[in-house]
Amino acid sequence: MDRETVERVARTAHIKLTEDELEKYSRDLGEILTYFELLDEAPGCERYGVNPIEVADVLRDDVPRMDIDADLLLKDMETYDRYVRGPRLS
Amino acid sequence: MSMKRIMESLGTVNSKYQMFHAMTEDTDPGDAKFLFSAKDNLTSKDMETCAGSRILEGYFPAFDATAIARMREAGGKLIGKTNMDEFGFGTFSTNSGLEIPRNPYDLERACGGSSGGSACAAAVFEDHVSLGVSTGGSICCPASFCGVYGIAPTYGRVSRYGLIDYGNSLDKIGVMSSKAGDLRKYMGMIAGRDEKDPTSCVQPEMRNDHRKIGSIAVPREGTEGLSKDVAKAFADALDELRRMGIDVEEVDMPSLKYAMPAYYVLATSEASTNLARYVGMRYGRPQGDLSLKFDDYFSSIRSEYFGDEAKRRILLGTFTRMVGYRDRYYSKARKVRQVVIDDYKRVLEDHDAVLAPTMPFTAPRFDEISGMSALDSYKADYLTVPANIAGTPHMNVPCGYDGNGMPIGMQFVADHWNEDLLFTMAEEWEKDFEMRRPEVVA
Repeated sequence: MDRETVERVARTAHIKLTEDELEKYSRDLGEILTYFELLDEAPGCERYGVNPIEVADVLRDDVPRMDIDADLLLKDMETYDRYVRGPRLS
Repeated sequence: MSMKRIMESLGTVNSKYQMFHAMTEDTDPGDAKFLFSAKDNLTSKDMETCAGSRILEGYFPAFDATAIARMREAGGKLIGKTNMDEFGFGTFSTNSGLEIPRNPYDLERACGGSSGGSACAAAVFEDHVSLGVSTGGSICCPASFCGVYGIAPTYGRVSRYGLIDYGNSLDKIGVMSSKAGDLRKYMGMIAGRDEKDPTSCVQPEMRNDHRKIGSIAVPREGTEGLSKDVAKAFADALDELRRMGIDVEEVDMPSLKYAMPAYYVLATSEASTNLARYVGMRYGRPQGDLSLKFDDYFSSIRSEYFGDEAKRRILLGTFTRMVGYRDRYYSKARKVRQVVIDDYKRVLEDHDAVLAPTMPFTAPRFDEISGMSALDSYKADYLTVPANIAGTPHMNVPCGYDGNGMPIGMQFVADHWNEDLLFTMAEEWEKDFEMRRPEVVA
């Protein structure tokens, strides 16, 4: 995989790569994708799903409830007045 | 060894084998009926849960995973969370930001991955059961390297609630133990419907008919590329199975060679979306500079705390889902998965199980692993990946030892929801198999 593509993919994935990492992943992903060319010759089929078993009609009724105390979830986060603090948006 | 004795020796034993990332501080089992450990990608209320990643350090979940909750309800005491490859990304449990477990038969060798700490604990402690998780072979591989029984059930058999996802369409929670009978016993505890995971709600009841396997198919594709010791042990095991009255037939399963690339496309595609949630805000200790712009904040945390293999798989999975590449990789991989499922169904019409060695070689030394490329290690999974991609239940059974005394395992695969056949097979095999437990010196 060329360095430009690796850089573009890394930006999409929110990962900053060092020069060494760019070099390494470019080489590794190239090798891996060459191996994946095996998929081009694999037979396909018309019916295929998201899961290996059929999962249908398993939705439960939508009933509001509180499974976990919100304060428990907040205890390890940086908060201000029970709001979760995050980085600046702009 | 009594439960109390095991609990008193946890610290000493762990300093030698490094099977646990977190351990209980209790030294008394109280009224516990049994002790168990769980892979560190299953959330636990009373222990830090990191899934082998530095990005989750300091994460103390507010809830138990369903599998852990059910073990506790049955009287189990959780004694430790086991070390693993970061988020399950590996074959040897060496891709970890935390501790790397050591093989109980030779401390210079790996336990296998990614449930390496679980396999280690199951091998080292007497009467111990450990919960593992398999995405592409992460129960059977370490069970094979550490010489224990291990089962990954049908996809959907055990609720994934509380499991830190790797690949949602592939992840399965299962059981590892040095005793064959434990597979049936503890799978019975953790299996079953759970409204918190819809994929668990389609399952039929798990049967306990003690049905025996009468015929086995051995795919030619599963006996290629084996080390000499593994090939010999497997041939001897086939002779033993015939002696037990089981028909053994060689078959062709041409789809198996496509399972490995299809698996890595599906698994990394799903992983790259799952790992988008780790940005230094919601899980683990916030470690970043909140004055940064959000893009820079997220990127700096992810770049610093994800390990090498996690980054590689995020990049690979992001790429294979991108516009322009999606049809060639992600969509094709989904079709190949169906082709593999169809191949299993075809063979399992005439046979009760498919059998091959679990791994093509025995546990490698750490210095051998460090010389392997990423692709080399992916290729090592070619025997365990097909059953995982198909969601069919599969089980490692110890079947011999190599010239260095390292364990060798074989993997039985049954049709969806037919775990009963596998349990019975393990129980029957155990009667005559001479298991060599590792010498444990605390």
